[in-house]
Amino acid sequence: MNDIQYTVERLWAGQLGNGFIVLSFVSAFLAFIAFYLSSKNSGYLKLARLAFNLHGFSVIGIAGTLFYMLFNHFFEYQYVWQHSNTEMDMKYILSCFWEGQEGSFLLWTFWNVVLGVILKHQLKNGDWEVPVMTIFSLVQVFLASMLLGVYVFDYKIGTNPFLLMKEHAEYSNLPFVLAAKYESTARGLNPLLMNYWMTIHPPTLFLGFSSTLIPFAFAIAALWNKKYNDWQRVALPWTYFGILILGIGILMGGAWAYEALSFGGFWAWDPVENSSLVPWLVLVAAGHTMIINKNKGGSLFTTHFLSIASFLLVLYSTFLTRSGVLGTSSVHAFTDLGMTGQLVIYVLAFIFITVALLINDKLFKVSYVVISFLLLFFGMLYGYKKILLMLWLGSSGIITFISYYLYFPKEKDEEELYSREFWMFLGSLVFLLSGLIITYFTSIPVINKLFNTEFAPPKVQVYNTWMIPFAILIMILIAASQFLKYKKTDPKKFFKRISYTFILAILFGTVCSIPLYFLSNSETKGIDKWDLISYSLLFITGLFAVLANLDYFLTVLKGKVSKSGAAVAHIGFALVLIGALISTSKKVTLAKNISDKKLSSLGKDFDDRESILLTQGDTLPMGPYLVVYKGKKREGINVFFTVDYFKLNKDNKPEFDFTLMPQIQDNPRMGQAAEPDTKHYLDRDIYTHITAADLNIDTTKKKDAFGSVKNYIGHVGDTIFSTNALVIIDSLRSNLSKAQYEKNDSLLEVTAVLRCVNTQAQSFVARPKFIIQNNVIIPKEDVVNELGLKFAFWKINPDDGTIEITMSEKLSNNKDFIVMKAFVFPYINVLWLGCLIMAIGTAIAIKERIRIFKVQS
Amino acid sequence: MKKLHVIGIIIIAVAIGVIFISLKNTSTYADFSEAISNPEKEYHVVGKLDKTQPQIYDPKINADQFMFNLIDNKGVSKQVVLHKSKPQDFEKSEQIVLIGKMEGNNFHANDILMKCPSKYNDGKPPMK
Repeated sequence: MNDIQYTVERLWAGQLGNGFIVLSFVSAFLAFIAFYLSSKNSGYLKLARLAFNLHGFSVIGIAGTLFYMLFNHFFEYQYVWQHSNTEMDMKYILSCFWEGQEGSFLLWTFWNVVLGVILKHQLKNGDWEVPVMTIFSLVQVFLASMLLGVYVFDYKIGTNPFLLMKEHAEYSNLPFVLAAKYESTARGLNPLLMNYWMTIHPPTLFLGFSSTLIPFAFAIAALWNKKYNDWQRVALPWTYFGILILGIGILMGGAWAYEALSFGGFWAWDPVENSSLVPWLVLVAAGHTMIINKNKGGSLFTTHFLSIASFLLVLYSTFLTRSGVLGTSSVHAFTDLGMTGQLVIYVLAFIFITVALLINDKLFKVSYVVISFLLLFFGMLYGYKKILLMLWLGSSGIITFISYYLYFPKEKDEEELYSREFWMFLGSLVFLLSGLIITYFTSIPVINKLFNTEFAPPKVQVYNTWMIPFAILIMILIAASQFLKYKKTDPKKFFKRISYTFILAILFGTVCSIPLYFLSNSETKGIDKWDLISYSLLFITGLFAVLANLDYFLTVLKGKVSKSGAAVAHIGFALVLIGALISTSKKVTLAKNISDKKLSSLGKDFDDRESILLTQGDTLPMGPYLVVYKGKKREGINVFFTVDYFKLNKDNKPEFDFTLMPQIQDNPRMGQAAEPDTKHYLDRDIYTHITAADLNIDTTKKKDAFGSVKNYIGHVGDTIFSTNALVIIDSLRSNLSKAQYEKNDSLLEVTAVLRCVNTQAQSFVARPKFIIQNNVIIPKEDVVNELGLKFAFWKINPDDGTIEITMSEKLSNNKDFIVMKAFVFPYINVLWLGCLIMAIGTAIAIKERIRIFKVQS
Repeated sequence: MKKLHVIGIIIIAVAIGVIFISLKNTSTYADFSEAISNPEKEYHVVGKLDKTQPQIYDPKINADQFMFNLIDNKGVSKQVVLHKSKPQDFEKSEQIVLIGKMEGNNFHANDILMKCPSKYNDGKPPMK
């Protein structure tokens, strides 16, 4: 490839982009100030709206410029150089856009702008426009600064995507940069990310993150204006929208992991996964307390707390995954771009704003602000940052609860035990608590940093064990709560009403879960008894949730779709958990069944042989299948391995079933990456991935040539090992007796009878000869063609009675092999079906809430 | 006392319980000397691959056994028996975390985490 020499760099693009960046920051700041001022003087409102629109325009300008540069290969710019090249398929150009941190911040900012403009239009001239947009603009100020890349007193704020290669600290002195050879060196998109998931997963997830900002902005605005009761009906459809989009985004990540990455499942409790799950859990809780508030009033503090926490947890997860603090505990966290301090400050700043606004007393508020700033300066000047941080966080937490008692409006009368709101509220708290526990587990690397401890992050099993009781509780709440009315229900009627589905669930669930978990089964043998009990409890309660909501939909709602959002979404959620439970707990390791060697002597943890060695052409039993590794082929950087699966038919003869082609990507950037291949059936998936293989395809090898010769000394009865057979020295036969030989030395012929037994227990015989004629030794070789073995018998040691034999093998005997893992995920389609149903249910609920909102206003 | 207060107390109790129970059972990062002195407990040992010692992986004998030497952060090299197949790009790892116990003179690991050039880490350009 010819290098283009960039004598004139296209500086205009970077200048344009940087212009937009500065404009977006300044206009967001202006919008914040102007919206804030218009809370006192409505004359500023026009300016504020204009500034926000200008901010939106400039963010789209940044994105457009960056996209134009990527599309037209402006490789003199570091971001373009690092994330794209000319060889890649242009359909992945969008993925290049958000592969880097700068691009993903830009994506986030972009979605915020889109939502902000819609929200501004929706709220126009209403009570909420000014306070909500003030908060919105403030968040945009923080986000826009992430792209600034300017230095303030040696401290870098943000990283700039419009940096020229020669301006970049890491690259500027490298020879190819000095020679301006950008195009041929461009690194391009990581091949592992070249799939459609990378095109759809990040935008969905970031739209989900963005939508947590709306309930947050409303809640903060409510604290600021002391109007705690009015915003929920406006924010509710948006909250549902966030639940839907963020949920889809998370599940897409799971589907990506399952389809294309070799995690061995769809959920690995990786910190990156957890940190998007937790905001979702909290947002779901917030959505539910908002409904309580709308239908019955109350739950005010919780609604505010959850709405704010969801967004703060998004910020916190940004800090976790982008600051490098996770280190080795996550396989796919971003590495540090030097923004750790900035990210911490942002999280703390929003906690500070929340707490300060929560305090209603002027003196109290001022002293909180002053003390916070004093602590900040003290920390910057004298150190003790960790202790001060914990002190500040602790006291902010205490102040939050004090202000709840002092200032927040509270319900006078106690909630009825048999009321929908009580149990819905409880469900929200269970969601919050499970979210907090996951956050705590995920934050162990942060805790280690703060307290100088050395705790290791918990394993997958720890998460599962802790989360299952919560899941069981949630399933019961989901099943029962709908049948309770707001305010008060007759308990007798209620219990009678739910008892049908409850008994049905117990009967059916027990009948199913006993053979699933308690009758002897190889794949559940290693699982603790209590875990098995909790699995079957989850199964039964999950079934209860599905049946009860189905009952509610059919008999109470009479199948009316528009009101059925909650029931449908709950059925979906229960199915997701049932699908996850069965496919994970009943995951069958196919390779396990063929191994006779048990490692159980080393303890329970070691009894997990999961890999199987397949030699090319050999057939091995694996679970109910017979597998054959046929061969491999290379396409670009991907090496595909053909593995055929056979099944025994009625006559016990193997019959071809299907072919899987797992691959290994020989990724020039990050080495080898295995991509699984999965056979999908309605009731199960068969999942195969390669753990070790030789990627070189050698076609030059002469298959019929013999390899190096090896010498063996032994007695009759000894065994020689070849790669494909056992060779037993059966006997020696001579044409002459010893006496005859001594008399007549003209010709001695000794034949070694070698019995060769291959892996299929077939026997072959080789007869190499040792001939002495006139004192000259003439060994006569013999070849076993079936096994590709050649033998020569060339020495007899009369002193100790040993003989010497050489053996050589055909090169083709050294067959190619792969080490493979295979799993069966039973009923994983229940999980995906549940996702779909949950999404549909949430969409119905959004539609209904928008309708109600329009009717009311 | 309101029902919600009771629930609040239960929730706080559960949260504190989780923290204590999990901290008690969790394994900690350690070096080999600590793992040797306490062979019953599971540890996360952090270190680097000892490139002077041979790596033994023969999938024909056992596809789920891989032996190599790890130098821990204190510079002690020990033979490790990993009860898994040899990870891809093992040699390229910058840092290795092993999860397992000491048995005799070997460290038996049932899981391995490697810090490799991450897919998000575009890191250093290839030096030419």
